Amino acid sequence: MSGLLEIRNLSKSFDATKVINDFSMEVVEGTICCLVGPNGAGKTTTMDLITGRIKPTSGKVFFANDDITAKHEHLIARAGIGRKFQVPAVLRDMSVQQNLEVAFSRQTNPFRNLFKFRKAGLKDKLDEVATLAGLTGRLKERAGILSHGETQWLEIGMVLMQEPRLLLMDEPIAGMTEGEAEKTAQIFKDLRKSATLLVVEHDMGFVREIADVVVVMHMGSLLAQGTIQQIEADRRVRDVYLGEQEAA
Amino acid sequence: MGNLYYNKTAQWAVYVVFFAALGVVPLMVSDSFLLNQFATYGVYGMLALSLSLCWGFGGILNLGQGIAFGLGAYGMAMTMQMQSQTESNPIPPFMLNNSLESLPMLWQPFQSTTLGLILAVAAPTLFCAVFGGIMFRARVSGPFFAIMTLAMLSAFYTIILDRQAYTGGVNGLTPPGSFQFGDFEIDPYSPAAYWVVFGFLMGATFLTKLITQSSFGLVTQAIRDDAERVRFLGYSVAGYETVIYTISGLIAAVAGCCWVMLVQYVSPAQMDVSFSLSIVIWAAIGGRHSLLGSILGAFIIQGAQSYLGDTFLATWLLILGGFFIVVVRFLPNGLASLVEKAFGLFERRDPTSSPAPDGGRPLPAE
Repeated sequence: MSGLLEIRNLSKSFDATKVINDFSMEVVEGTICCLVGPNGAGKTTTMDLITGRIKPTSGKVFFANDDITAKHEHLIARAGIGRKFQVPAVLRDMSVQQNLEVAFSRQTNPFRNLFKFRKAGLKDKLDEVATLAGLTGRLKERAGILSHGETQWLEIGMVLMQEPRLLLMDEPIAGMTEGEAEKTAQIFKDLRKSATLLVVEHDMGFVREIADVVVVMHMGSLLAQGTIQQIEADRRVRDVYLGEQEAA
Repeated sequence: MGNLYYNKTAQWAVYVVFFAALGVVPLMVSDSFLLNQFATYGVYGMLALSLSLCWGFGGILNLGQGIAFGLGAYGMAMTMQMQSQTESNPIPPFMLNNSLESLPMLWQPFQSTTLGLILAVAAPTLFCAVFGGIMFRARVSGPFFAIMTLAMLSAFYTIILDRQAYTGGVNGLTPPGSFQFGDFEIDPYSPAAYWVVFGFLMGATFLTKLITQSSFGLVTQAIRDDAERVRFLGYSVAGYETVIYTISGLIAAVAGCCWVMLVQYVSPAQMDVSFSLSIVIWAAIGGRHSLLGSILGAFIIQGAQSYLGDTFLATWLLILGGFFIVVVRFLPNGLASLVEKAFGLFERRDPTSSPAPDGGRPLPAE
């Protein structure tokens, strides 16, 4: 089975520093893949490379068999990749509802949108996502005043409003309570029916809960790949990552 | 009931009242000179409106709004100049003084009034689309874009000043007759001229208001908030910025045409940096996030300049500068924010108050 997302021999250097070094991986459609690794392993940089925020020095990224390497961010987003950022990025001066409405981006053409005052299907989707994200009572609030946990939820909600085929989640449960994290895990597992997820997360408990496949990065390269049991039993992974976590 | 300031129905009601009030002006004013002056305020209002759309709403500070205004004004002046040329006298006098023997290519389309009008509006709009497209694609934004517009404005100013044989140089163009539209002559001192400006101002205002309330407006507002984030939602930020900058330029170009119709005159002064900066000042003092506030800002400042300027002469600039500093320091969102605050107080006393009816802090236009 070929992957929905395929990364082939990706490299990225900033000046002389190789941040990503000949990294390859793939994410199979309808699964949750967790990308883990110590700080500085290049996880967020990989996300940046997939979504077009930065361009690779060499290598290719394929999405649904299309080469999306070095395309513009908005074209990659339109192709069906939604992203939640590590530091939650919501539109702080707008209301929660407006944040979700903007993210509902079926129509992106500026000229068509000039004549659009009501978006078809928006209301149902908005209700669904707001309920899922637990933000129903907060729709009128300015996004800038939300708590950190709520901001995380809002951004997850925005990604859901985009209806992407592939969701990139960079540290989705950072700052969440245990209960909230559990709820997130449940939502992610439900999403698997209709979408594919690539999740960067440090919390191994959460990874254990949701991951179909775990990919371990170290120094910009692939260290190991497999099920959570295989990864946890892997000596090299224990040495560079998990061991370090247990000690901490 | 929420803050009335954000209630869309209330906003539209205020617009209707505002234009109804402007509509009765010609019935009250019999002095044709005064009516002409009021009509020029309408033109300034249109300029402030265009900047409010671009800057207040789109977050794109444009210090060169005089480009679109000036190009529109020159196009209109050329059209009107050619209306007064006859078969026996086919070349404007200033060209003869500059020893041109035939009408230059640049001027030929303006022999037709229709073509001239189309060019007067289309040329500046096209310029904005191309210039904006190039800049926004290269992700030039914020103060850097403002500086580019300023540089472009100075370039146009210099070219027009320098190409005397084609533009009349520092003297500009002074078409001898009023504008003829078909069989109809629009005397700049007649109510008809006032109605033309009134119509365009109202049309432009309602159009702009609708834009701010459309899906396009929502995306534009999101771009102002965080352009980087909006890209990852699938929107072409450069596309949206170019469109809003171009629509703003289109309104300014129409304002330029109206202005020449009223004053029968254009010179490089309309493309001077200080004129473009005063548009920014009108919008800033009136409240750039508010379309109506910006228009009123233009009325207030230009009105005060006409009347107080004569009294205070050189001191007027000091008064204006001082006023500007006070507004920027204490009311960063202009005089319109006073209205917002007043309604806010009203809201707090209302025990049944709930968050704003149409979405927290909605489209900050009005």
